Amino acid sequence: MAKPKVVVVKARGVLNNSGDIDETRLLRMYERGIRALTGASSLAEGIGRIFAPADRVGIKINTIGGRKLSTRPEVALGLAGALKGAGVSEKSVLIWDRTNRELKDAGYSLSLGASGTKIYGTDTDGSGYDDELYARGNIGSLFASIQSRFATASVSLAILKDHGLAGVTAGMKNYFGAIHNPNKYHDAHCDPFVAEVFAAPQIKDRHRLTVLDAMVVQFHRGPSYHARWAAKSETLVFGLDPVATDAVGWRMIERLRGAQGLPSLTEDGREPRYLQSAESMGLGEADSAAIEVVEEEA
Amino acid sequence: MKRRQFLRTAAGTGLALGAQAGPFLEELYAFGETSNLSMVEARFYKKLPDREIECNLCPRNCRLGDKERGYCGVRENRDGTYYTLVYGKACSANVDPIEKKPFFHFLPGTTAFSIASAGCNVNCKFCQNWEISQVRPEQIRHVDLPPAQVAEAARRAGCASIAYTYSEPVVFYEYMYDAAVEGRRLGLRSAVVTAGHINSEPLRELLKVVDAVKVDLKAFRQDFYTHYVRGELKPVLDAIKTIAASKVWLEIVYLVIPSLNDDPAEIRDMARWIKTEAGPDVPVHFSRFQPMYLIKNLPPTPVSTLEKARAAALEEGLRYVYIGNVPGQQGENTTCPNCRRLLVERYAFDIRGNEIKDGRCPSCRTVIPGVWG
Repeated sequence: MAKPKVVVVKARGVLNNSGDIDETRLLRMYERGIRALTGASSLAEGIGRIFAPADRVGIKINTIGGRKLSTRPEVALGLAGALKGAGVSEKSVLIWDRTNRELKDAGYSLSLGASGTKIYGTDTDGSGYDDELYARGNIGSLFASIQSRFATASVSLAILKDHGLAGVTAGMKNYFGAIHNPNKYHDAHCDPFVAEVFAAPQIKDRHRLTVLDAMVVQFHRGPSYHARWAAKSETLVFGLDPVATDAVGWRMIERLRGAQGLPSLTEDGREPRYLQSAESMGLGEADSAAIEVVEEEA
Repeated sequence: MKRRQFLRTAAGTGLALGAQAGPFLEELYAFGETSNLSMVEARFYKKLPDREIECNLCPRNCRLGDKERGYCGVRENRDGTYYTLVYGKACSANVDPIEKKPFFHFLPGTTAFSIASAGCNVNCKFCQNWEISQVRPEQIRHVDLPPAQVAEAARRAGCASIAYTYSEPVVFYEYMYDAAVEGRRLGLRSAVVTAGHINSEPLRELLKVVDAVKVDLKAFRQDFYTHYVRGELKPVLDAIKTIAASKVWLEIVYLVIPSLNDDPAEIRDMARWIKTEAGPDVPVHFSRFQPMYLIKNLPPTPVSTLEKARAAALEEGLRYVYIGNVPGQQGENTTCPNCRRLLVERYAFDIRGNEIKDGRCPSCRTVIPGVWG
């Protein structure tokens, strides 16, 4: 059985000194990443192998960290553009998170998307959460109707960062923002809660792609922004296996911590154990040795 | 049960309305905002380096970075200052019989102006009010009802007390505290309905301004608290001891769930502990479980189980042991522990007769502990 592939694309200079993104380089990162991930000869072809033109695609971003530590609008809009290029209608793409306040604080311009990509939060009037409680294992939650009813396909476009409780927050934990009560699932290093939320059909059956925004990585004292422990990484990480992609993100954080002389997350008692739980639930591959990591420069 | 169905049938949640998950997408008409949250600095927290804080309100002692919320979902760190988001934000407001809380030895036959805000610091799998307790404040509708208005509304409604109930008042501590102070100014008492998952210092402060506390003791085994409450038993027992040692009236409710916390040995252990640590006169209510929230696979508690629990607690020396959620059951009534005279006859939340005079049995003059007027 082939190893799951995770593509790590670095683009030196994609962030200028002000932190602004060079969108030409960003587009190149998407091209390299998606092509390497899918084996396609173009970005559009690669996206077309993951999504169908008829899909309604929810792009779940993470904006709790404010402007300095959230999925960047350019990165989210870049993916929306790639979907459009592959034939998915703009009106069928929704960039979203929990609240409109957090979206705006992170630099997003809200849009109902009558003529273009939609951008709004779960708290938008008429959106909200499902009526029916999802109850399985340790989870009892209402899912955002964007995730459960709008999206036929879903992307976790997460920020990669250290997390004081979970160890690492990346693509899988990003879906905590798709339920109404994430605060209830931070015990025990979020294990097995992250895996169990992901295993819900509202997510598992729709998730197609993880992209980690690792342009700036908070490698210590996350999930809040602290400049002294935030590294300019200028990286995007792509994966079809949600567990493997997060496992690679974890290793990136460990390398950054090691370079600063910080203890590893394992030594700190904070390794993201939910990855192992996710693997045992059949959600993907957590073992680094069993993951094919492809590194690209864009 | 579906969410809307729950909202239609949930008793006692009054103004509580879930976020409307109405017709989707094409009917979106405006952007919602989450600005209708309070920004009142919380009590009982420590500021830490790097804009972190540690909340010391409850035994979780959540340590939070900037922009993070505690387990309760209603207290948030913003730039190193911790705020309550629900101060003066009532998601429920009702006039209830005090017996509904239940309090049986506290102002019987009176009404309590009963309020709640969103949130809870535990997550009981059998929660009866999860629609308001297990949500964040943005997800439900609430009204602005500042403490002074709570007291004024209670007075106008002819209530004898203000009750903090339905969800978990510990998480709206500042609101509750100030409403209790405002209530006292108008001659109103305050009654707290809580799981008792609170640290000692805030509890002791609270006891200075309230008059009665009902603690929901969920079980007498830590294992149950771990799996079905997601909390700790010991702090709850500590809270019971603290309340019992104060001048504040205490009652205890124990929801009996078939096969989970109905072991006779556990009931007897609990009864002995209450008698020793809180005293034999603390009223204990064994309430009937109904399938709810995340525990729908168990039947309602058989009445015979409740009767056995009551009998066991009486045998262990508790003097006032009741059965709840079974209207018409003899275990709803208060009898004199000395001469066995029927003193208070109840039917559900109604008082059908109250013979207690000056806090005593009219036949044998035995003191019946409580707050009777």
